Amino acid sequence: MAEIGHGGKEIVERILEPSEAKEKIKGLKQIPIRSQIANEVIDIAYGFFCPLEGFMSKADLDSVCKNMRLASGVVWSIPILFDMSESEISDYGIKAGDSVVLTYQDNPLALFEIEEIYDYDKKAICQAVYGTTEEKHPGCARTYAYKDKFIGGKITLVNRPKINPPFEPYFIPPLEMRKKFKEKGWVRVVAHQTRNVPHTGHEWLMKGAWLQTYGELSIEKPLVGVLVNAIIGEKRKGDYIDEAIILCQDELRKAGYFGDHNHMTSLTFWDMRYAGPKEAVFHAILRTNLGLTHHMYGRDHAGVGTYYGPYDAHRLLESIKDELNITPVYSMNWLYCPHCGEVTSEGLCNHRDEWQKFSGTVIRSIVMDGVKPPRLIFRPEVFDLVMECAEKYGFGSPFVTDEYLKNRTPVFSVPPLE
Amino acid sequence: MAEERYPINIWVNEERYEKLKEAGLAEMCEEMLAGLKVIRVYANDAQKDKILKAFPTAKFDSATTKSIELLPKDVKDKMFDLIVQKKSVDILDEFLSNY
Repeated sequence: MAEIGHGGKEIVERILEPSEAKEKIKGLKQIPIRSQIANEVIDIAYGFFCPLEGFMSKADLDSVCKNMRLASGVVWSIPILFDMSESEISDYGIKAGDSVVLTYQDNPLALFEIEEIYDYDKKAICQAVYGTTEEKHPGCARTYAYKDKFIGGKITLVNRPKINPPFEPYFIPPLEMRKKFKEKGWVRVVAHQTRNVPHTGHEWLMKGAWLQTYGELSIEKPLVGVLVNAIIGEKRKGDYIDEAIILCQDELRKAGYFGDHNHMTSLTFWDMRYAGPKEAVFHAILRTNLGLTHHMYGRDHAGVGTYYGPYDAHRLLESIKDELNITPVYSMNWLYCPHCGEVTSEGLCNHRDEWQKFSGTVIRSIVMDGVKPPRLIFRPEVFDLVMECAEKYGFGSPFVTDEYLKNRTPVFSVPPLE
Repeated sequence: MAEERYPINIWVNEERYEKLKEAGLAEMCEEMLAGLKVIRVYANDAQKDKILKAFPTAKFDSATTKSIELLPKDVKDKMFDLIVQKKSVDILDEFLSNY
């Protein structure tokens, strides 16, 4: 049976078998790509970005900027662009109609069928997608860093990436993910978007969303799951290291705070744009393709600084809900109330004067000070694993350092095409 | 209108707690988040801006706690030592004079 993704399009993996791939790329020009583009190539090929089959054409980009839709009319909020400089285009001698091989880590990754080479005003992209043109907005900075020309065309993977330890079990592309949900018997699955090691505020966000999603379903057998979908992309100094994020998220299941019957951890390769409401819509699309039925959104989803109001994303999602095949689940903050002696929801507890709010940033500060947080705030199994990851993967630190950026094992490698 | 004050949380581990006890300052600790000991140093707007500029890894948690977080441990150690030396949390002016 066909698996239908966002926009009503069937999810089809655009991946060639090695023997066919070798034939197809023989004699083609090779163009090296950077990590952001490699991530997006993989996402396109495996169907994470369905209905996209490649990098956007000018018509799609223009329509995304002006209408938050592809040229076909399907909702899409973040441009997916391949950039090159004019001199690179000239040096490689490429033009519309050509096919080239995109290489990563010096090995072939994908076939790129060039359909169009075009210009677009980067400032207009920023204003449309991020609601600002300020360079200090990380999404704008990423947009301004694009080279001057964009290239639209279809992508087909010629070489599957090798996912390196400890990430292998967590790369679960859409078609495989949907099979797993069926095997588990889940009829509803709610997404938890993260780039963090979980504290109990996150844990309760997931538990609350699970309860909201369960709704009227029968409780005779487990029918609802939480999928943690960690975004793995460019790292900044001071972030938790990727290994700690993914392993600690899964530790909540392994240590029994959740179980196999209701919790799973996975990853998606993506460089966050911090586009707030527009990124919330993008996450809805991504998780629709992964087969989820519900998506949790808290305050200021995927926002940065003070660019977006805390509920802007909710309002944008509401405005297009009939065009999405995923139901938003809106979550209130969880906090510690010393009077209740527990982590509770700000929508429930009325000891307002006693509330003690905490965030991932505060927990990082506590850990940086060499203090082990109490189990009500940060699970001891998670803390111990953070410290283990620091030794095993982080060169002594659970946070990204220059040494980690320089010497870490990449999340995936592209092997030679045998 | 009272000037806004932004806490810097100096989380008290066993080593810091021993130093406080030795100095007779153990009562300076508040208890937060289900049993964590913390000393809170408060910054005004100008001090907050100076801290964020002097220590680029520091972050003002504007969304949740309105506190200044992610100062490097050695910076907090220096603040802590100054607190013990002066027996007061009113140390920011002196501390920031070096930056």
